[in-house]
Amino acid sequence: VSAHSDRFQYLQALVTEFQDTDSAEAKEQVLANLANFSYDPRNLSELRRLQVADLFLDMLTEDNETLVEFGMGGLCNLCLDKVSKSHILASGALNLVINCLSSHREETVLSAVTALMYLSCAASHADITSAPVVECMVRFSLSNNRRLRNLATIFLEDYCSEQQVREAQDLHTALGIPLPHSTHT
Amino acid sequence: MAAESGVCLQVEVQAHHEQKRVCDSRAKYRDGRRPRAVKVYTINLESRYLLIQGVPAIGVMKELVEQFALYGVIEEYNALDEYPTEEFTEVYLLKFQRLQSARVAKRKMDERSFFGGLLHVCYAPEFETVQETREKLQDRRRFVARATSDKARNAPERKPEATRNTGCPFESSYPESDASLAHGSSYNSQLQHSSPTKSGSTVPFARIPEFNQSCTPHSFPILSDSNPVAHKGNFQQTTEPWPLEKNPQTSIPIQTNPSAAGSNFLRFTPRTTQLQERQRKREHRNALALCGSSSDNQDIVIGPKLPEMPKLDMDDPSLNMSADFIRDKLKKVGGTPLLPKLHNAAEDAQAEAPKKQRRRI
Repeated sequence: VSAHSDRFQYLQALVTEFQDTDSAEAKEQVLANLANFSYDPRNLSELRRLQVADLFLDMLTEDNETLVEFGMGGLCNLCLDKVSKSHILASGALNLVINCLSSHREETVLSAVTALMYLSCAASHADITSAPVVECMVRFSLSNNRRLRNLATIFLEDYCSEQQVREAQDLHTALGIPLPHSTHT
Repeated sequence: MAAESGVCLQVEVQAHHEQKRVCDSRAKYRDGRRPRAVKVYTINLESRYLLIQGVPAIGVMKELVEQFALYGVIEEYNALDEYPTEEFTEVYLLKFQRLQSARVAKRKMDERSFFGGLLHVCYAPEFETVQETREKLQDRRRFVARATSDKARNAPERKPEATRNTGCPFESSYPESDASLAHGSSYNSQLQHSSPTKSGSTVPFARIPEFNQSCTPHSFPILSDSNPVAHKGNFQQTTEPWPLEKNPQTSIPIQTNPSAAGSNFLRFTPRTTQLQERQRKREHRNALALCGSSSDNQDIVIGPKLPEMPKLDMDDPSLNMSADFIRDKLKKVGGTPLLPKLHNAAEDAQAEAPKKQRRRI
């Protein structure tokens, strides 16, 4: 039996357990497994067949913040794959990712910022750099949390025009998007 | 930069530094060999910076850095005096030159005992500068682009079949949307153009370890890297995934020697060229044998594995024998491969030792 079909069966077993189990704990564990597997491009074809991108997207609307965090992490790992990327964009899930920017969990927000950068393309660019998002990034770029600050700075410098940033800076005093809790406070 | 590194050393305990509780409730089929916590790794969490906690405060910084340097070049290291520690332990920050080295070092050194203390090693991305973070994200982008485009090139006819087999509507809807996006995307096309030129100089040597180890922060049962041979073959696997998957019976055995396999495979070469090539290789091998260095250069040097020490001919059988003895001893003592620097030192010592012996005689 080839390594690939082994891998497929294993991943399939994970997806099946994820769908069948009633245990929240098992769900989190399996989701974490799948998200971590998404990091390795060698698993991409299997993960596509199993529609794991949709599984991750479903998690973004969960109440359980851990599921949201792991789902967003999985998307962040997966979305550099062109096929998954176009699927995510085509299913109109960009808003779900953007919503994660206002999560209280540090890793969720970080994954969302990175995923947005990775999901950017000619078709999605306007949505990804919409005024509220840019404004949010301006706030993040002033955060004490260095990881968040770095990512937001890259977002503003590499993906937004100067004008967009200027407009967002003017706006940012008006709106109050909460920063994620810094973990050490 | 100086100011930057000053800022760098502001230290705070972060959530991802804490050792999470090991998960002991995993179903058996997904329970790995090593106990692990439930955690998702993303490129955000990984870093060339490693935080080493639990180092016994007995002045072993040099030993610590030497130990970690086995996994790659360390650019900077610092003791973090401000960082809260357990009693009698210290915390260090190491910055590797390459992310891949940090990955391997973390995997190998986390939870290892070191001078009587148990090390806890974690990534410390909060020490990255904006530029370092940017490069990390770009590297990941390039890496995935390369890995996936390799697959696409090798299996252009595979897609429709997969759709038929699995009857999966999800996949069949991909090609058109994918194409439209790929063509419209400035980022994508930019990537396609930049990746070959940019990485041209470093391919394949610098890239291969990434292929091999890309799964390392998350070691799972089926991706376990206990087998170094299979590991080396992974590059091949990534480039030729389809035939392997499609037909197990005719599956190509995993190549242990990437350089030997691919190069002449597809290109037609006339008989005379082949003979010349063979002749050239033979001569090359002979030349190497004469120099006394190990001839098998087919092995690509990956990570901490360094080329074997050249075997010097001491012009005297008894001297050769003692040189061999010393070499063996060094290998045993070293256990793990030596650094280039240590390497030279070892060679010098090796050259010197027999001389001293002779003087005694």
